[in-house]
This record gives sequence, C-alpha cells and structure tokens, in this order.
Amino acid sequence: MLEARGVVAGYQRSSPVVRGVDLALEPGRALGLLGPSGCGKSTLARVMSLLHSPYQGSVTVDGKLANGFRFRAPRGLRTRIGVAFQQPRLAVDPRLRLIDVIAEPLRATGQSALVERRVPELVERTGLTEDLLRRRPHQVSDGQLQRACLGRMLVLRPAYLICDEVTAMLDASTAAFLVGAIEEYRQDTGAAVLAISHDPVLLGRWCEQVLDFPGLNARADTG
Amino acid sequence: MKFWTSVSIVVVAVLAALVVPALADLDQRLVDLDLVLQPPSWQHLFGTDALGRDVLLRCVYGMRVSLLVGLAAGVCSSLIGTAAGALAGTWGGRVDQLVCRVIDGTSAVPQLLLGILLVALFRPSVTAVVVAVALTHWMVTARIVRVEVMSLRARPFVDAAISGGASRSWVLARHFLPNVFPHAALATTLMVPHAIWHESALSFLGLGLPPHLASLGTMMDDGRRALFSGAWWVSLAPGLFILIPTLAVSGLAGVLRDRVEHRRRSAELAW
Amino acid sequence: MVKSSLRVRGMSVRFKVPNGSVAAASDVSLDLGEGEVLALVGESGCGKSVVASGLLGLLPGNARVSGAAVLRGPEGEVELLGASQQELSTKVRGRRIGLVPQSAATHLHPVRTIRAQLAETISELGAELDVARAAARAHFPADHLDRYPHQLSGGLAQRAAIALALAGSAWLVLADEPTTGLDRALVHEIVDEFRRIADQGHAVLMVTHDLAAAERVADRVAVMYAGRIVEDSPAKAFYGGPAHPYARGLLNALPEREFRPIPGVPPQLSELPAGCAFQPRCVLATDLCTQLPEPTGEDHIVACHHAHA
Repeated sequence: MLEARGVVAGYQRSSPVVRGVDLALEPGRALGLLGPSGCGKSTLARVMSLLHSPYQGSVTVDGKLANGFRFRAPRGLRTRIGVAFQQPRLAVDPRLRLIDVIAEPLRATGQSALVERRVPELVERTGLTEDLLRRRPHQVSDGQLQRACLGRMLVLRPAYLICDEVTAMLDASTAAFLVGAIEEYRQDTGAAVLAISHDPVLLGRWCEQVLDFPGLNARADTG
Repeated sequence: MKFWTSVSIVVVAVLAALVVPALADLDQRLVDLDLVLQPPSWQHLFGTDALGRDVLLRCVYGMRVSLLVGLAAGVCSSLIGTAAGALAGTWGGRVDQLVCRVIDGTSAVPQLLLGILLVALFRPSVTAVVVAVALTHWMVTARIVRVEVMSLRARPFVDAAISGGASRSWVLARHFLPNVFPHAALATTLMVPHAIWHESALSFLGLGLPPHLASLGTMMDDGRRALFSGAWWVSLAPGLFILIPTLAVSGLAGVLRDRVEHRRRSAELAW
Repeated sequence: MVKSSLRVRGMSVRFKVPNGSVAAASDVSLDLGEGEVLALVGESGCGKSVVASGLLGLLPGNARVSGAAVLRGPEGEVELLGASQQELSTKVRGRRIGLVPQSAATHLHPVRTIRAQLAETISELGAELDVARAAARAHFPADHLDRYPHQLSGGLAQRAAIALALAGSAWLVLADEPTTGLDRALVHEIVDEFRRIADQGHAVLMVTHDLAAAERVADRVAVMYAGRIVEDSPAKAFYGGPAHPYARGLLNALPEREFRPIPGVPPQLSELPAGCAFQPRCVLATDLCTQLPEPTGEDHIVACHHAHA
C-alpha cells in the first residue's frame, strides 16, 4: 500500500495547495484523482512519488515510512513507484536516444546487465519499433516520446504507477493505447495505478474509483 | 562568413605560432646592434626593436606564448567555474549560498589587482600567470553553469531519473554536465581572449612572464620605451597581434553561441 | 461586395534534413468560407501544425512549400504560399489572418500587461479600435486588462491571445492547438468563443488533436494522416460515421466511445510507405492500397479505396 497521511504541501508555505490530504493506494487498484488544473493534484502526486517534500504529513510505501524526499528518499522506496508526466518533451533529456531513456533507471540502479532483456520486452508493450528506439527526442512525435516515457516508468517493474495527465497532450488513439498498456501492466503484475486528470470521462473509463481532489482538500480543511 | 573568417584567422595564427619558429632562419633572440630600431622594410616587415631583433618574428614567438597562456588559463578557469557552478546548482541550499558568496567576494576585487597579488606570491613564470588568470576569471562560467543547472533541476526528466533510482552524482554526471557542456565550452572560448589580454596586461606591468620569454605584453612594454624615439612599429605590431586573433576567437565564440541557442530552440520545436 | 474565402490547393511542405527530406504535408486542399469553423484534426506529428505555419509563412528556412493558397476578400486577393515576407508582414499577418497560438501563457510577453500588449498590437496594425473594445471582442474581462500574463488563468490567457489575434480585424483566425492543457469547461468556453467569432462572418481554422472540442464547434472536419488529408467532411456526417478507416479508428479511440487504440504506430514522415500511408495499420487493406488513393467526393471528400466499407 502507498499511503499519504495528512499531507500539507505546495510551493509557498503560507498558502499550500495540498492541505492535509489522506490518500491510500491499494495494490491492484486503479484510482482516479479528478480536479481542474492548478488545484494541487499534481503536487500531491509528486509528494506520493517521493519527488516533493511536504511541509507536513508522511508517505509510507508498503508500510515503510519515507524519511526523506527526492535524493534523500531511500532508493528502494523510490523505485517501487513509477512516474509519468503530462509533457513528454520536458520529461526526457533531449540528448538521449529513446532506448537510453527507457534503460536509464536500470543503469542508474546498477542493473545494466538487465538492459538487454528488459528493453526488448518493453518495445512490444509500448508499441515502439527498433528504429524509433535509436532516435533522439527531436526526431519523434509527442506520442512516440510518451510511449518511451511509459517504457521508462515500467522498466524497474514498480508496484505503484503515478500517471499525471499522461494523455492530455495526445491524440485519442495514442491516449487509448497508453491507458491500455498501463492497464495491461496492472493486470499482469497486480500493480496499483493512481491516474490524475481533469477529464472525468477519461477517468471514469479508466479507473475503478474516482476521487474529486478539491473535495479531498475541502474535507481536510474542515476536518 | 563570420565563422570562416574567424576560423581562418585562428588557424593561421596557430599555424604561424607552431611552424614559423621551426622554419625561420632568423633567431628571435639574435641581437644585432647595427640594426637598432629600423623602420619597417622588406627585410624586416615590422622593423626591428631597440636591440635590433626582428619585431615580426618576435611577435610570432610572443603569440605562441600568449596563445598557450590564453588557452591554458581559459580551460582552467572554465574547469574551476564549471565545478563551482555545478556544485552550487546541484546541491543548492547552504552549498549554493557558500559558492555564491565566494563568487561575489572574488568578483568584488578588481581582477588585475588580484592577479598582481597572485603573481607576486610566485616567481614570474608561465604557470604563475595561468594560475593568476584562471583564479580571477572563473566566476562568469560558474554563474552561467549554476543558472543552467538550476533550470535543469526543475525539469520533469530529472524527477523521472530520481524516481528511477538515480543518485545525485548520477544526475550530475549524466544530465547536468552534458547539458551544460555547450554553455561551458562557449564560456571557455570567450575566456581565451580575456586571458590573453590579462596576460598582456600583467606582462606589460612587468609582473607576468620573465623578460627572456617574448610575450606580446612584454613586447608592448619594450615598445613603450621605444615610442619616445619615434619607433611606433615596435608597439604597433604586438598590438595588432593581440587584437586580431582575439577578435577572431570572439567572433568564433559568437557564432558558437548562436548555434547553441539555435539547437536549444530547435530541440523544443516539433511539428 | 466580394465574399471572403480561403482556398488551399495542392499544398505540400518538404523539410530538407541532413539525410533526406521530410514530407510534412502533401497535396493538402482545404476550403473555408465566411462563418465557417474548420477543424484540422490528427495525431501529433501528422503535419497539421505545418499547414497552419505554412499559410502564415512562418516555416523554418529548410522548408520548401509548393501549391497554392488563395485568400480572397474585400481587401483583395493574395496567394499566401508565394507571397513575400514583406507582403505577409505588412498586409496579411494580424490584418487578414490572426494566429491563436498553443499555450498562450508562454506566447504572451511575460513582463507587460495585457492592456499594453493589446495597445501595441492595435497601434502597430493601425487599427481603429480602443483596447476595451478589442478585449471585449474575445470576452476578455476589462478588469483584468492591467494584469500580467502570470496572473491569468490558462483560460483567460487564451482569451487574451484571441483578443490579440482579432485586434487587426483579421477575417481568418488560425488557432494552433488552442485548447491543449485546458480543463474541459475551459475548452468549451474557448471553442464557443470561436463559434461566436465565426457567426460574425469570420472563419476559423482550428488545428487540434481534441476530437471532442472539434465536435462542439466545427462545421467541417478535415482529418490528416501522415501529411495528407484523408477525409474532409461536414462535421455532422463525420461524427455520425466517418468514411475513412483511420478517422473511424480515431473516433473509436475516444473514452466516450470504445476507448480502443488504432493498432501500430504512425509512419515516419521521412520514410512514408508507397501508396496509402495508413495501409500498414489498416484492417481493410488489400493489394489495391499499395496505390495512392485519390481524394474523391464533392462535399464529403475521402481518400481511401475502401471508404464506407
């Protein structure tokens, strides 16, 4: 279970955008988080993926308390959670070929030996081709780049996936493909998915349960 | 056009500095008191100096020293600057504050004064000048690199790397440094002419290279004395030898900067 | 009085790259009349933004454009693809064609107020208009005019961009992905604005990947795949049942419908297959498809050997 308790977070201490939210993501579940842009749902996502240090509150991964965030978060906990973002163009280093984008988490965690085996598996899952893998970001479209980001998210086989508006920039077909691929991974591995979007139709179709983020915040405000 | 002009001037200068001393049948140290302060002629295109030495040949030797010092100092200052900037940008917080105060503090002291102080601590030598120039010129690179790293730090691809288990040093080595390299390289190129001028200034003041090493700065110092006897050419030649190659290197840096900027923009442009 | 119209015929754009050329747009033909909203839809990288940039003469230096795009109106007739930059900048951009960019927030000048930017645009274009009226055209609230771009929400920033595009009373509004990243409610607000503009006699060419937004506003929908228009039809007919298998696949991928992706990936524009570019992904493909299908039809134009199958 990936659990956030009493999280207060934001970019200005005097006016946090996440104000004491509790959220639990159970293994195997697909949970949707709905809210307009700028409401703080992405900040909560960053806190839960251990990428943003909250002012208050805690995050536990499989019962283990994260005692730091970003580089200070234990590597073992960080890699349990996979992340993907809205704008693929900003989410990859412009110098890296797609294959190196996908393989980076393996190399960064000293598992370079697994690159040969894991990356080809993901080629199929992400719908990329050998040719595309050797291209650099400026030579592919947003949709193809987001497929590479999907590969990078899955390459360490995380137990929790946090997807922040991953389809917002994409056409309907690529969006449907990405959601399908994430769902397939969830079915295969029993991973949990936290899907964040402003689109109720998308989340309704994707997730078993959809929570309204402003509602969570308001409940925390009054409680 | 600008690119090729700059490149050819730099290439000619470097070749001249490398090849001419090996081929010339005149010794630059050859003192001929019969030929003291001869005006420019076909035998001596830029005339001769107060000791009857060929000014053109001495300028080529001087340029050799100046280019060497400029390049070495430029590279050293960029290395120091990149290291300091990357350190501040990557770690942030207290480390950043400390580096910034050192940058501000060093920048507050006039460069020449600091250079003089540093050279005064050692005996005049090429190393002393390189160290003095490097230690007074690294701050610009440090600032550029620091800001670039800070802007990279907020990018989602760094978040993705952290989430993928990357350590701070991994992100520094694999993402920050390669992405700031074009900027650092550019800063180095811009620093070379600075370093050449700075070396000339120190030598002109008699604090740079030992007198037997012809550098463009020491030559201008010699020329200054000769000026009173109407021998303008002894100063003009080293002046031109400082001006033209450094302008060419600056021009080259300008073209490189345009390319770096352009690449950055086109990397963001997708159809 | 001459009616305004835009008539694009056989527009092609090639980018010269170090090892070959990229066929970003091929043989594109479009028609746009007064009061019409045309949605140019397709996935990212299909070349639809290139068409929009090409009409404004804003393509990078390595682009080669051919074909014709004639803009008619009371101000006269101009062929956009052959026009000089001088002519485009003094007579066309801002005056006859206004551009609404993707992500308005980054397009606006960050350290000047909306009022200052509108005033500058108006005086630069020599338009006889005051700032308040210009803002009102895009329903930009007058009490927000003295704000800076970062103080505006995404929707209001987009409205400011629309006000700028309309400041020179341009007849044609070119909107390049104007709703990307906006919430559904804001998307509706912005596209409804386009409807109002068109109803005043303007024309809107909206380049978008958002089929739901296009459905709400467009009179016609043109679907682009790998640089070609594969279907161009009235919006009602399109959303009722598109004729091209790619367009059908795209609609079926919507979460409101089957939420099923089209198999395969789009081809690289630098190495397009011979014949129909969609054929490698198409369930209906036969030997016939190795030949390029000609666009056929009067009002409902389709380029497919197996249309309506």
